[in-house]
Amino acid sequence: MSEQSLVKKRRRSVYRIRGKFFDFSCALPAIIFFVIFTYYPIVELFRYSMTDWNLMKSEYHYVSFKNYQWLFTSSVGWKRFSSSLRVTLIYTIADVAASCIFGMLLALLFDRMSRAFKFMRTAVILPKYVTMTASVMVFELLYNTEYGLINRALSAFKITPIPWLTSPDTALLSVILFSVWRSVGYAMMIYLSAMKGLSPEYFEAASLDGANGIQKFRYITLPLIAPTTVFLGVTSFLAAMKVYQTVELLTGGGPYESTSVIVYWIYALAFRNYRVDRASAVGVIFFLILLICTILTMNVTDRRVNYDA
Amino acid sequence: MSNYNSDSSYANHSIRTKKRIRASLQYFFAALITIIMIFPLYWMVISSFKTTEEILRTVPTFWPTTFQLESYSAVFTQFPMWRFILNTLICTVSCTLLQLVIGVLAAYAFSKGEFPGRDIVFVVILGALMVPIQVTFIPTYILVARLNWINTFAGLIVPEAASAYFIFMLRQNFKAVDESYIDAGRVDGMGRLGIIRHVLVPMCKPTVITVTIIAFINGWNSYFWPKMVTTRNDYRTVSIALKEISSSFAGLEFMNFNKIMAASVVTIIPVVILFLLCQRYILTGFSKAAMK
Repeated sequence: MSEQSLVKKRRRSVYRIRGKFFDFSCALPAIIFFVIFTYYPIVELFRYSMTDWNLMKSEYHYVSFKNYQWLFTSSVGWKRFSSSLRVTLIYTIADVAASCIFGMLLALLFDRMSRAFKFMRTAVILPKYVTMTASVMVFELLYNTEYGLINRALSAFKITPIPWLTSPDTALLSVILFSVWRSVGYAMMIYLSAMKGLSPEYFEAASLDGANGIQKFRYITLPLIAPTTVFLGVTSFLAAMKVYQTVELLTGGGPYESTSVIVYWIYALAFRNYRVDRASAVGVIFFLILLICTILTMNVTDRRVNYDA
Repeated sequence: MSNYNSDSSYANHSIRTKKRIRASLQYFFAALITIIMIFPLYWMVISSFKTTEEILRTVPTFWPTTFQLESYSAVFTQFPMWRFILNTLICTVSCTLLQLVIGVLAAYAFSKGEFPGRDIVFVVILGALMVPIQVTFIPTYILVARLNWINTFAGLIVPEAASAYFIFMLRQNFKAVDESYIDAGRVDGMGRLGIIRHVLVPMCKPTVITVTIIAFINGWNSYFWPKMVTTRNDYRTVSIALKEISSSFAGLEFMNFNKIMAASVVTIIPVVILFLLCQRYILTGFSKAAMK
């Protein structure tokens, strides 16, 4: 009996050791991937930012913090940097605020559980999953100053055509409108499922106390879904900071850099001006900004995953 | 008595009317918003059937007066549309499969597996969530260029072969699977691979399906990285090619808007169908995100 259990034990420990090796090899592809495509690049990014590397030249030298000096102290560098940071922040805050507010309002409007409403909800979320390049193409048609439907509709009210994408005053607004069109359905669905989780008892109790619809929303729904708002706000904030495709496709950063967000500027510095050194320095600063934002908000997003990735 | 009765029925009646008015208002505004939201996509589809002359008309038409399919045939003859679609399929399917296989294996290793330093390594993988491609794209591009992977499928696929989000999501699910199921599998003589395939994955099927669908849609719509590594039509995916098609009409966009719209419709059809068929899975993902 004891011998048998000993054999069993040994067998199990052999199984364990083999198992540990197996388990580690399961993790290995992921480990290798992230070392090569995440951690190695970030180290390289720091290194490039310390050089004077121009893509057109074959050799480069280390210049310590010269690129950061250019970024923070030279008039051109600082002007472009602060303006791209400003544009990114305006875009991010407007996009997040509008999606959260409209998402919440739409969730209140679309909360009926009928087939018609299910269909309508699907239509509202659809824009997020449609290939963005295709949506941009149709928005270019809608926004067009001469032939665009929006200006044609406005002209019926005797409003002079607005150069939506070609004037520095309206370009950023047009980009934001497009983003909100895409993201508001997602916010609505998040709010809807949060509201569905609220216990009806609260509302019954409030009804007995004679509360009306607005009061119920103000004093019950709003505080109870506050964690959802925070979660949604934080995750969409971090996602919106990384905006690139919308800007590149709709406006190409223009006109007069009025929509040149930070990622677009990094891209342009590296691949238009071939200044990998400066682009990397901006990239490092951008990375640090994102890192600080992520760490500061970590306890909010903890354990939860945003599909926006 | 009768007076009292009629009073109450009157009150009931008024409440019911109020409710009915409210419901119809709700229907009205919801329908209005739905129309606004869906309108750009509707405009895309009908513009693809319009003639150039009709698109440029001062009074816009909301239904094509004459349906013409020439834009579609023109798009397929003037541009290697099938090539773009094939490229996109190759990239999307490979990326989805790789993300799934790497994700499932890693999720197993970090939930049910055991090896020294497991939790530290997992934190390292999670750390990758904080380093988006928008930060690392310059060194990654240079790495890919040094490997001579510009304009190759390897260059398009390999840098997007794993997703820390999916590993994280799958791991959360695998962790929730009770040990007793795994022991049962072991008793049945399954190896560890068998346990992953026949116990963990089937038990977490909804998440695995959600992850697969989202990976496919993201892959199909992917723009940032494919744009970096492709300069030739042989490797362009639809999302990139669409922009190239539109730029190729530079200055003459308005003569060709119906073609651009036709190409857009062709581009979005697969994802729209996939979304409509599988939205159940995508929506469960939403409610998981909303609730802690």
